Amino acid sequence: MGKDPKKAWAATRKYLAKPEFSTLLILVAMLALAAFLQRNFFEAKSLNRTLNAFTPLILLAMGQAVVIISGGLDLSAGTALSLLTCVLTSVMRTANPVSGVYAIVAAFAVAIVIGVVNGIGMGYLRIPSVIATFATSFMWLGAALFLRPTPGGQSVPWFKLFYDVKAYAGAPPALKAFGSMVPSALILVLIGCLFWFVLSRTRTGRYIYAVGSNHTSAYESGINTARIQLRACVINSVFIFLAALFFVGQNQSGDARMGDPLTLRAIAAAVVGGVALSGGRGSVFFALIGALILSLVNKIIFFADIPYAYQTLVSGVIVIIAIASSQAYTLYSRKSMNRRGRLA
Amino acid sequence: MKLLEASGIRKCFGGVVALSNGNFSCQAGRITGLLGANGSGKSTLSKIIAGVYRADAGEIRFLDRLVQYKNPNEARKDGIAMVFQNLSLVPDLRVWQNIVLGAETGRGPFLDDRQAKRASQEILDQLLPGLDIHKLACELNPGEMQIVEIAKAISADPKLLILDEPTAALEKAEVRSLFRFMRLLAARGVAINFTSHRLWEVMEICDEVTIFRNGENVGSMDFAVDGRDPEKIVSHITGIAQKASAAKASRPPSDEVALKVKGLCYADALRDVSFELRKGEILGIGGLAGQGQHELLLALAGSYPGVDCLAEADGKRVRLNKPANAIRNGILLVPGDRALEGLFMKRSVFTNMIFPKLGLAGQPFFTPRKKYREECETAIDVLSIKAHTLDMPVQALSGGNQQKIVVGRWLSFDAKVLLLADPAKGVDVGAKRDLYRSIADQVREKRVSVILYASDIEELVECCDRLLVMYEGEVIATLEGDDINEQKIISTSMRVGQE
Amino acid sequence: MNGTSVALAGFRGAADKQKKLIIAFFLIVFLFVFGQLTVSNFLSFGQVLLTIKLASFIALFGLCQMVVMAGGGDGLDLSVGYTATLTAVLTASIMNGQNANLWIAILVALAIGLLVGAANGFLAAYVKLPPLIVTMSMSLIVQGGINVYTAGANITGKPSPVLQTIAAKSTGIVPNIVFVLLIVAPVVTVVLSRTRWGLALFGTGTNARAAFLGGVPVKRVRFASFVISGLLASLIGLLLLGNMGIAFKDMGSNYVMPSIAAAVVGGVSMSGGEGNYFGVILGAIFLQTLTNLLVAIGWGDAGKWLGFGIVLFTLLIVYVSDRRVR
Repeated sequence: MGKDPKKAWAATRKYLAKPEFSTLLILVAMLALAAFLQRNFFEAKSLNRTLNAFTPLILLAMGQAVVIISGGLDLSAGTALSLLTCVLTSVMRTANPVSGVYAIVAAFAVAIVIGVVNGIGMGYLRIPSVIATFATSFMWLGAALFLRPTPGGQSVPWFKLFYDVKAYAGAPPALKAFGSMVPSALILVLIGCLFWFVLSRTRTGRYIYAVGSNHTSAYESGINTARIQLRACVINSVFIFLAALFFVGQNQSGDARMGDPLTLRAIAAAVVGGVALSGGRGSVFFALIGALILSLVNKIIFFADIPYAYQTLVSGVIVIIAIASSQAYTLYSRKSMNRRGRLA
Repeated sequence: MKLLEASGIRKCFGGVVALSNGNFSCQAGRITGLLGANGSGKSTLSKIIAGVYRADAGEIRFLDRLVQYKNPNEARKDGIAMVFQNLSLVPDLRVWQNIVLGAETGRGPFLDDRQAKRASQEILDQLLPGLDIHKLACELNPGEMQIVEIAKAISADPKLLILDEPTAALEKAEVRSLFRFMRLLAARGVAINFTSHRLWEVMEICDEVTIFRNGENVGSMDFAVDGRDPEKIVSHITGIAQKASAAKASRPPSDEVALKVKGLCYADALRDVSFELRKGEILGIGGLAGQGQHELLLALAGSYPGVDCLAEADGKRVRLNKPANAIRNGILLVPGDRALEGLFMKRSVFTNMIFPKLGLAGQPFFTPRKKYREECETAIDVLSIKAHTLDMPVQALSGGNQQKIVVGRWLSFDAKVLLLADPAKGVDVGAKRDLYRSIADQVREKRVSVILYASDIEELVECCDRLLVMYEGEVIATLEGDDINEQKIISTSMRVGQE
Repeated sequence: MNGTSVALAGFRGAADKQKKLIIAFFLIVFLFVFGQLTVSNFLSFGQVLLTIKLASFIALFGLCQMVVMAGGGDGLDLSVGYTATLTAVLTASIMNGQNANLWIAILVALAIGLLVGAANGFLAAYVKLPPLIVTMSMSLIVQGGINVYTAGANITGKPSPVLQTIAAKSTGIVPNIVFVLLIVAPVVTVVLSRTRWGLALFGTGTNARAAFLGGVPVKRVRFASFVISGLLASLIGLLLLGNMGIAFKDMGSNYVMPSIAAAVVGGVSMSGGEGNYFGVILGAIFLQTLTNLLVAIGWGDAGKWLGFGIVLFTLLIVYVSDRRVR
């Protein structure tokens, strides 16, 4: 089968019709619009600032995508993030640099617990993920408030590395030079990407798609569906953990309510990025793009001088439109599949 | 050398005996066909062998070992793979991913995709050359999906491959391809069990057949030894003894047309179905299972919004695009699966019986409890439903009584056409007779017309005035009078004398 | 067979719905007893009445949830909080402390509820988007609407005295809102169990396929349930205004989660078809009691939410795990 030009064009056309391509198109359009409205958008400094503002949502969206692909949904992501920031800032003592390491270990452990609890609820106990994570979100919120009734806490100076290397005075010059070229936020996102990239090449990664696509078929093929859903929740927790590192690096404090608005936006970002709410479909990397798009939209609203008052409104409308069109596409393509002989 | 031997298998579902004495054996390298009418027990036996069900009694010896599988995975590990008709592919994974699903090879934790693609391509090249292994499973047509299912079973390197109606979704060319592959597999020493409703297929590919009837093995033929005689096979399937057809109550249907249907089409399931139903007539829909009978009834009940046809009830045009329209015109459905489609199992008898009234226009906002309760009591009387009170949950009743409730809800309606979708399924013999008698009474008194689909041929033979035989969505024959007997029905259904 | 096993057998024999009501009731009793033992004065008459008053609002919002959940299809309504808030904010200035404009306020409330509910219903029932996402986004939109309104003008106005009497004041020792509940509860129960629409709703939730084949317009029924939820939420907004005396931006948002929890605890099935309003009321009382208890013990906000979450999660395990379907 040689490279037939006609075949190549047919293959290209097929790719163009894919939802992923239109997502990329939208991203490019948004970037263009942002650059138009903010003259210095593409300058290093402002790009850096942009990336920093977007990072928490990007990481949360990627983690959420994994859960959604596995057939679930995590409404506790936001409060989980808050909890982790509170854990970090409660364990750390500014005077003691080593406490930063303890804090990281503790927060990671808590993140795993969060993932396991959600995973048990969703995967083993078969509680619908909406209401299960609804319930657990209160558990995380309560724990967070317990640790940090008001925003605050302590942080070691070197934690700033997670946010911006240049901000940490004690960094060696080589690191500082590196940090001015490659922002920490980017490193964190890349770690996340690498993490998922590796996982997607394993059985777990494949099975997450299988379980989300058709639970029964996956089960009948011998897959331990409960365990896979639990793993998906734990993977999500790891992404939330990375976001927590960033947040504490940036703000040097923990806040029990900081994550609240991020939950829905993370879900919306994943959906905008092409992840189907019904499960089994989508890409974690495109959820990243979805987060970029959503954040750019907000930025554009800001720069287009739409009054602050209108921003929530516009946000909400955009979320609905994004999800509606994504769902509509799903329904359409699934309907044509079902009509072919299998009368659903 | 017998690869598998099943003896004395017995299996009951609820009160219904699916298998009373199942015996079966097959050998490595041979293709054995399983034949039998609907409900004869052949698919139940296959499922027991494959580990989907557990037998109530009897024993199975595989490779000279006594085995009892708790689930299909155990059977698969032992080397028995079954390919079902209800497809179990993962829609969003690619063909090659589906084929190796659950049994992927890998280096350490990482999947070896190259090996998987190679192995899948190898298998598919023999089964269906030209199929792109990178396609998503949801992009395949039913025939291709079936082939991929088979490929998946084969990739596990089974010693015994059970194919349950694999050709149902396939085109002629694909069938030929499949047969070629089956012969290859057999030559390699794999034992294959094959079921099909197309007699000619069985005769072409199988080395021997085992025939089932009424839950037991009634005969086997080795084609090499006994030759291929379709008539003999059909007589085994139906039983030589001819049932004396019960004297039908003398109620000649009138010539008035109760329902006229022309050109009914729906997706791939129904193709250009046309017929006329006369007042007071019981019209049967027969044929092998899954040929569109159930879909026909659902379409007539208005449950497919996209259905395309010309329908007239009592001379008046009816649009069958929603159930409310059908109901308003007196076309009432008694659904086949009463738990899924007919009843609210946990709700009371009363709630279930009055439910259809709720969709009817013109009913009062506040449900007139007293009036409705009286109507229910009447219905219970008329159909002799055994229920202590109106408020007991429906799931506490026996299958037969539950079914009577599904019928009884329509009694207070002005019924013109009653659509019965396998009403006696899962109902024991006594209750079955009871149910049909009640229905027959209604027909007699109110001159209601009935369209009856029953998976059990006996029911069709006993009740119907006319019988439409369906095959792959089309009506291929109409039988009347003396032609309505088991032998004729089965041979027409299996298209004996054709192909 | 000794007495315990007979009792257990009887308990198991009771229908599922009764079982959940019984559990809810015993949980409340347990909480009060526990509270009385650990914190003095927990079981005082005044405390109990105050609990019931606060719980009434939760119970009213819980009605919205029950209606939407009963229709099945994973229904729930997260927009009830801000719908109520929007109504309160807009009608406060209309009424301005007078009774004269009460009727206009009510009309405005109905209009808002109708609009929001219809939007929710259309997207959830006809376009078939997940109700969770639809109502969550709608809540954002309504919140945005409130932001727009309050950016331009301050929130002014007070509720009419009638509303204040109903919502805030008491007759003797009994808070008036309890009377509202006592009227609403039987009305709701009758409508849901004895009218065409109510029975159709529950049927749709129990088995949408069977309901459809029986001639019930499933999509229309679900659409209607969202509209009703919106209307109710809006009217509750008037009551909230009456209770608080003024309107502010976050009036309703704290009621959303508890209202869903109250419904679930009260035995309303999230998959539809089951529910009893008295159960929801008990659920609301239970949750409020639990909250009070946690606060009284001195755990504050943290304990409140943590306890909330753990209890809800545990109840979910108990309620949902008997429906484990692969």
